[in-house]
Amino acid sequence: MKHYVSITVLQEKLYINGQNIRLTQIVSRNCSTSDQSNSETSTEDTEYETKERILRASLPFVYQHGWTNKAITSGAEKEGLPGVAHGMFPRGGAELVFFFYGECNQQLVKQMKIQTENVEEKPKTGEFIKNSVESRLRMIIPYMEKWPQAMAIQTMPQNAVESWTNLGRLMDDIWFYAGDQSVDFNWYTKRASLAGVYKSTEIYMLQDKSDNYDNTWQFLERRLQDLTTIGKVTRNVS
Amino acid sequence: MARQKRSRELVDKIIRVDHAGELGADRIYQGQLAILGNTSVGPVIKEMWEDEKIHLETFNKLIVQHRARPTVLLPLWNIAGFALGAGTALLGKEGAMACTVAVEAVIGDHYNSQIRDLMEDDPEKHEELLKIIKKFRDDELHHHDTGLEHDAEKAPFYKALTQVIKVGCKGAVWISEKI
Repeated sequence: MKHYVSITVLQEKLYINGQNIRLTQIVSRNCSTSDQSNSETSTEDTEYETKERILRASLPFVYQHGWTNKAITSGAEKEGLPGVAHGMFPRGGAELVFFFYGECNQQLVKQMKIQTENVEEKPKTGEFIKNSVESRLRMIIPYMEKWPQAMAIQTMPQNAVESWTNLGRLMDDIWFYAGDQSVDFNWYTKRASLAGVYKSTEIYMLQDKSDNYDNTWQFLERRLQDLTTIGKVTRNVS
Repeated sequence: MARQKRSRELVDKIIRVDHAGELGADRIYQGQLAILGNTSVGPVIKEMWEDEKIHLETFNKLIVQHRARPTVLLPLWNIAGFALGAGTALLGKEGAMACTVAVEAVIGDHYNSQIRDLMEDDPEKHEELLKIIKKFRDDELHHHDTGLEHDAEKAPFYKALTQVIKVGCKGAVWISEKI
């Protein structure tokens, strides 16, 4: 059974890759007509913007099609581009997941900025971290039904590096706005332990059926409590 | 976009490796002072150590300010720096000075090449960082000359010793830029 699955995936990938070059050309030609005036400055940027536009339009279709090429196709069609535009995304659904992940990270950064910049009293570190992790996880709730698929896509070997980078960036953002000043090995332990908490809470969340995900937030609080305890113990021992 | 990213990566790399280097230097002088504190060169070493402490503090601030990632190998440089300082100091004060000459020569070159990279990227944007690195390079080269003034060349196996240390430093720089 396992064999069967992996072979179909491979074939689909080859198929997509085969079409890739041609499709990218069609789509980018389509776009370049609209802004020929500054075509010299940045073909790269226009392509980037088009991609972003398609992915943004694809998100509503995730409820229906999951994190797949099909969702991207629907998104592209809604934007008035040919459905084959999904060929601009050689990694298919994974690119949609990463786009969503990045968007959420950016949104969280905006929130944290408001909370920490130009305020008289900085929020308490522990509380700030808990709130930030919670707000970030809440961003997934609208997509909860299809989120297990997204998590699976992120763990695939070809996507693992980018997934780790995304998670790392998120942890770095949270610690930065929490006012972390560490410049030694603690820099790593802090980020790694928070990443552990974040990931385990995310997994817990998948099966949480309680109202408003109350159990998840309690779970999160207990995990963060564990971290503080471990920190205290190691400090006492050393 | 791509240009901005490249520029960020360059600054990240530079701050990471310099921070590691200054931490190592700080530990080297500390190691030397632990052995030679009560000898005639004690005050000279102490004076150079004070400079390095300021350098390290500056990079501690820059890491936070630029959100650069410190290198994973910090604990290693922490120990290796002290061991190098104390080890060469055990060869006598000439040995310690030879170590200083070798290390500071590599660091001086290294700062120079960073200045070139930054100038090439965008001299205006990196103005502040360039100023800091230039100042530190002058300090390090001053230490290099101080080492030579204090009989570094009379150290046992001067040529071989400095060569080995130089190669080691270059290796440390290379890997600290990467991870």
